[in-house]
Amino acid sequence: MKRAMTWTILLMLCLAAGGAAAEKPAAWDILRKIVLVPGVSGHEGPVSDLIRKSLPPGLRVQQDDMHNVWFTAGSGKPHILFVAHMDELGWTVGAVTAEGRAKLKGSGGVLPQTCEGRPVIIYTARGPVPGVVAPRPGYDLRRPSGETPPAYTAEDFEVVLGVSTEAEARSLGVTEGVPVTIKKTIVDLAPGIMAARAVDDRAGCAALLDVAARIDWGKLEGRTVTFAWDVQEETGLFGASALAGVLKPDYVFAVDTFVSTDSPLESKRFGDMIIGGGAVLRAVDSSNVTPRYDLRRVGEIARKRGIPVQAGNSRGGNDGSVFVVGGAVDIPLAWPGAYAHSFIEKIDRRDLRALSDLIAALVADWPPGGPLRPALSARD
Amino acid sequence: MSYADKALRMSAFAVLLSLAGGFGLSADLGSLIKSVFPVPSTTGNERLLALKIREGLPEGVTIEEDGLGGFAVLVGRGGPRTMILAPLDGYGYFVSGFDVEGYLRLDRPVPPPHARFDAYLMGQPVVISTAAGPLSAVVSQPSLHLLTQERRRTLVEGFSLDDAYVDIGARSEKEARARGVEMLDAVTFMPDLTELAGRRWAGTSLGSKTCCAVLAALVEASRRGGLRGETVFVWAAQTKFPVRGRGPRVSLGALRAKNKWLPGRTIILEPAGAEGGAEGPALGSGPILCQAKDAGTPFREEIERAAAARRIPLQAGPASGSPLLTPFAGQAAETAVAAVPVEFLDTPSEIIHLGDAEALLELLTVFLLSGGGR
Repeated sequence: MKRAMTWTILLMLCLAAGGAAAEKPAAWDILRKIVLVPGVSGHEGPVSDLIRKSLPPGLRVQQDDMHNVWFTAGSGKPHILFVAHMDELGWTVGAVTAEGRAKLKGSGGVLPQTCEGRPVIIYTARGPVPGVVAPRPGYDLRRPSGETPPAYTAEDFEVVLGVSTEAEARSLGVTEGVPVTIKKTIVDLAPGIMAARAVDDRAGCAALLDVAARIDWGKLEGRTVTFAWDVQEETGLFGASALAGVLKPDYVFAVDTFVSTDSPLESKRFGDMIIGGGAVLRAVDSSNVTPRYDLRRVGEIARKRGIPVQAGNSRGGNDGSVFVVGGAVDIPLAWPGAYAHSFIEKIDRRDLRALSDLIAALVADWPPGGPLRPALSARD
Repeated sequence: MSYADKALRMSAFAVLLSLAGGFGLSADLGSLIKSVFPVPSTTGNERLLALKIREGLPEGVTIEEDGLGGFAVLVGRGGPRTMILAPLDGYGYFVSGFDVEGYLRLDRPVPPPHARFDAYLMGQPVVISTAAGPLSAVVSQPSLHLLTQERRRTLVEGFSLDDAYVDIGARSEKEARARGVEMLDAVTFMPDLTELAGRRWAGTSLGSKTCCAVLAALVEASRRGGLRGETVFVWAAQTKFPVRGRGPRVSLGALRAKNKWLPGRTIILEPAGAEGGAEGPALGSGPILCQAKDAGTPFREEIERAAAARRIPLQAGPASGSPLLTPFAGQAAETAVAAVPVEFLDTPSEIIHLGDAEALLELLTVFLLSGGGR
């Protein structure tokens, strides 16, 4: 079933591409397909294969044992790396209970309170198995005023499958170690605004796929460019760390979410990048501080091409940070997203378009030379 | 409303319609449940579900309305009336205000069934039932990266309607209103039926929707002949709204139905919690039969005999304090609840066993056609 789903999506992508040779699917269309493909951290096989097979012919595409995918084009300095992570938040089955329920393993990376009574999909070797996360025991009991309810964490999650014995559950293919995601759906909030699980960071993946199809890589001169889609970002930048062992870029543009506070429940003290306001230069986050000199260079390239760009700081790490100790400058690019690490990650099509355009512009216009600046000024 | 907005709404409407499908006389119960499941229905906003059910009823049946949004099908003539009643309304919300930044605020027409009910809204897709059609939305939640321990405790664990902002992708009140949203439009969880193993299905308000479907199927079955006396099949609106006054909670919709159709005997269909504990009712063991008091009555024995004759599984429930029963307190011996067992009742994923619903339909069919209504 899993393979069938992957092939169906591949076929749709191929048909979309083949139907109009000049009209490659834009990042938005790619996102709407790729966001539904399962790829829990450490189990990225289906989405990794889809990315590899979606790349234009003629590129020397590589894929490692972890399922990282990348290609390199051009030659000489600088070496510029663009990297987006393909993994998504989720769980694995930790145990099958005597009552035929699946106990989940891992934090899931989302608020446990949003998972109570929610449908999930278990990706077994025999195909996807639907389930429901049981609400916390005694969910409907009245508590005395002032009594604190017991803590509710992902370790409490039990998935109801519809069977009542361990043997029945195992006969469905449910076994320890198989990945589990929430049952994903795309919610169209308004024309060009959608919300779904795993937009972080399938949006970045889609932007790179879109640009990969737009550029004539054979004509690239005076620079080396690598596009990479990596794994296990959400669980500790492991895929990027593996890539850092084989790739030595001068500049790395990590393409990921900007955790925006453009939503009603957040403080606007920082991170207030407007959804619909353009791509974001993620200047400062929890893993990196980008030199302002380089931010200005990116901003100038965007300005010349009329690409809407915002710059700000927020929280969270990015894959580029692991390349910094090797000598690279990390300049994270992003799409502004509300409700990060939820089932309703919100994105605006205009921002994704701006992000794609910015990536394409940087491939074409990033100045030659390494990360050393010509001269420092007070503004830098 | 822009062209793109219209197109979006039409596509959302098309999705809902395709989910809803149509149901006809020959539809099996599972198809009936699937057809009514995605149709939103909350207390005071039952119109869409009432229309959906009425569309699927056999042509030529006698329909009466109760003026609150409920309606009944009357079949047969003579004798004291038997009433079979199912609630149309489920728990849900309505638009109670517009934020200046375009977010919608929520309230509910009736108290929640339990203290955690409102907290299920956080970070979930919902549907707004506007006059122009359904509109997809999400309820805001904080980003995990930005959440402090203190806000985890207060905002997340203590989430209430004061924290609920519905996001439709608008940036101002004007823009939100231009999308067709009006005050009092119903807001419900996005319907998403999950078919589990073992003929178990899960979904929002699935218990009450199943009762509505069983009643619709019962109308069809009763027209095959053999029905003695008059039977009134009632889909009651506002059953979760309590009649004001002292004493035990009384369901307005049930009281209204009783006063309008004056039944001699009444069977109420409603979902009942079945968590599968050591002694309580369980999924897959048949419908649950209970009355206001625990003691057996001839009426109850009649229903139990009908089940035994056809070997229909039936679970004995404890005495019911359902507000739907309260209006019939004066004729308690002639009133019973026949409930669909539901696991995780009043959560976003109520689970039913299709076999229980089929058993309930068969039991009521046998009961009515064997003269049990008399």
